[in-house]
Amino acid sequence: MTPPTTQTMGSVPLRRGLPRTAGGEPWPPEGLAPTVVPASLAQAATEAVAEAPSAVTAEAAATAFAASEAPAVVSQAPTVRAAVVPPALAPAKVVAPNKPAKATAEGKLYRSRTVTQWTKFVALLAVGAVAAAGILVLAARGVTTLPGVPEFLQRYPGTYQLPDTTQSGFPWWAQWAHFLNIFLIVLIIRSGYQVRTEQKPPAFWTPKRGGKKISINLWLHQLLDVLWLVTGFIFVVLLFASGHWIRIVPTSWEAVPNALSALLQYMTLDWPVESGWVNYNSLQQIMYFLVVFIAAPLAAITGVRMSEFWPKNAKRLNKIYPVEIARAIHFPTMVFFVLFILVHVFLVFATGALRNLNHMFGGTDVVNWVGFWLFAAAMAITIAGWYAARPLLLAPIAKQFGQVSSR
Amino acid sequence: MKIVVLVKVVPDTYGDRKLNLETGLADREASEAVVDEIGERALELALSYADANEGTEVVLLTLAPEGATATIRKGLAMGAGSAIHVSDQGLRGADLGLTAGTLAAAIRRLEFDLVITGNISTDGSGGMIPAMLAELLDVPHATGLSSVEISDGVVSGSRPVESGVQQVSANLPAVISITEALPSGRFPNFKGIMAAKKKPLEVLTLSDLGIIADDPEAASSIMLTVTEKPPRAAGVKIIDEGDAGEKLADFLVENRLA
Repeated sequence: MTPPTTQTMGSVPLRRGLPRTAGGEPWPPEGLAPTVVPASLAQAATEAVAEAPSAVTAEAAATAFAASEAPAVVSQAPTVRAAVVPPALAPAKVVAPNKPAKATAEGKLYRSRTVTQWTKFVALLAVGAVAAAGILVLAARGVTTLPGVPEFLQRYPGTYQLPDTTQSGFPWWAQWAHFLNIFLIVLIIRSGYQVRTEQKPPAFWTPKRGGKKISINLWLHQLLDVLWLVTGFIFVVLLFASGHWIRIVPTSWEAVPNALSALLQYMTLDWPVESGWVNYNSLQQIMYFLVVFIAAPLAAITGVRMSEFWPKNAKRLNKIYPVEIARAIHFPTMVFFVLFILVHVFLVFATGALRNLNHMFGGTDVVNWVGFWLFAAAMAITIAGWYAARPLLLAPIAKQFGQVSSR
Repeated sequence: MKIVVLVKVVPDTYGDRKLNLETGLADREASEAVVDEIGERALELALSYADANEGTEVVLLTLAPEGATATIRKGLAMGAGSAIHVSDQGLRGADLGLTAGTLAAAIRRLEFDLVITGNISTDGSGGMIPAMLAELLDVPHATGLSSVEISDGVVSGSRPVESGVQQVSANLPAVISITEALPSGRFPNFKGIMAAKKKPLEVLTLSDLGIIADDPEAASSIMLTVTEKPPRAAGVKIIDEGDAGEKLADFLVENRLA
């Protein structure tokens, strides 16, 4: 242990370093280093002798506080920070410690725009969109007056005759597949977007058998993908087994001019005659075919290519089908899905909402609110899924299939 | 058994970390505050022992700025029984000596059997706190353990050194520090997060611990300058034209690396 010492104020000024707070005074505050002298020495030695060791020890203790200085410093510090900022040290912006300047709602930036700027921007976009839509509608109406066009519309009313054996309506499995599709595609798009944009995953998942650690959002994305594919597979099997396939697979070249005709009619805002319960118009038919038989498989095979399921060491295969291609296709496919969903939902509501909702949710061809409420329930479940899909609630599920860690 | 686990709230290494160029202190606004990974591993070690041995009490101890409470709760959510948060304006810019002294004072208030710390933090990279603590608490210390076994009255483990691996053991109470070889921290579950809100979290100041931050008797460190790390310059590329060996040797000699 240290021998007993006496302490006196020395004459050596304290060595001072950088301030402890931005804009503050150098630390420690100005003062003299205490002189620490072993007690026995201090008593025995004369004044002249005592000074020599003090000079040495003062160096070591140079940064220590002088006891008498301390209280004064505590009370001084805030005033110094607030008022007397040495010009050389004055920072561009003085931020009081622990009190970050709160930006006002007005001045706060969201993605480099303030709320006002965003409002103006969105309003401008909306006006632009309405104007563009108006021009399109007028142009389409103009086109219908061109020579030959009325005859074309008459010849191709937008739909072609299906075989008489075609069953009308939507069987229960189609309704269920449709609901599961809503639920899954919403969460798939969301989790996929999270994977794409996240910089630091909130948690990680490692397979039980070992292997690469992936983001918990990617794990969710893939889990949903598998469920989606299972749903899709069952749907397609039942579609063909039941004969309902004939409604969403074009079986005649007449589908093409009819689709053009339907598109033109949609654009004039004079909706084409449509009886979805019995027969889709050709544009619907082609779009549904694209979604079920082109876009969905495309999303799946490009997704599998990027996932851990894909054999990494199959050299030939990977040369024929490089991951870059998959990456380039996967995202635009999602964009296609999103655009399809937007237009689909818009038209469902714009072309007889209650009846359309009854078709797909209620399974009847009547106009009442049953389908709407079932649709609302489906939406509620989907929204609940959206909020439940967070790491905290996903982790227990993910743990059943592997390890979950925060890093 | 009472195990005290030391955790440190540090700027997340995931993004860019910054020092305030005026004070030389970590700019805590610049990055997210997280519990240092090595501290989570230390906690995991304590928790896995607590899982297997009933009657084990795990106490989190941290010395951190005022706003760190939420981050410490995460440690409670992982499963620690209680937490002690030492926070005081006087600790701003505290050096290793003051930090160790304050932590030791906080530990002394508890009847501890074992103190588990990480071997080194990702922000300060000092790695001296465990040894200083053991000295101040006057208990044995085992450093840098890559595996740990805790039994009644004894803690043992392996300690990789340059020439091999040492098997070390110490009687409790003791201080140990662990390396990244130990398992990473568990992911807190919903139950843990709900329970964490009710667990005791004691906030202590220096006066509670009887520590004087500016004790004139103790020499303390000051920082004299701080500069930003210069951006990395492009390296030298040596292309083998038959004399790459010579060029390499020249390069090493030129840069005093040989």
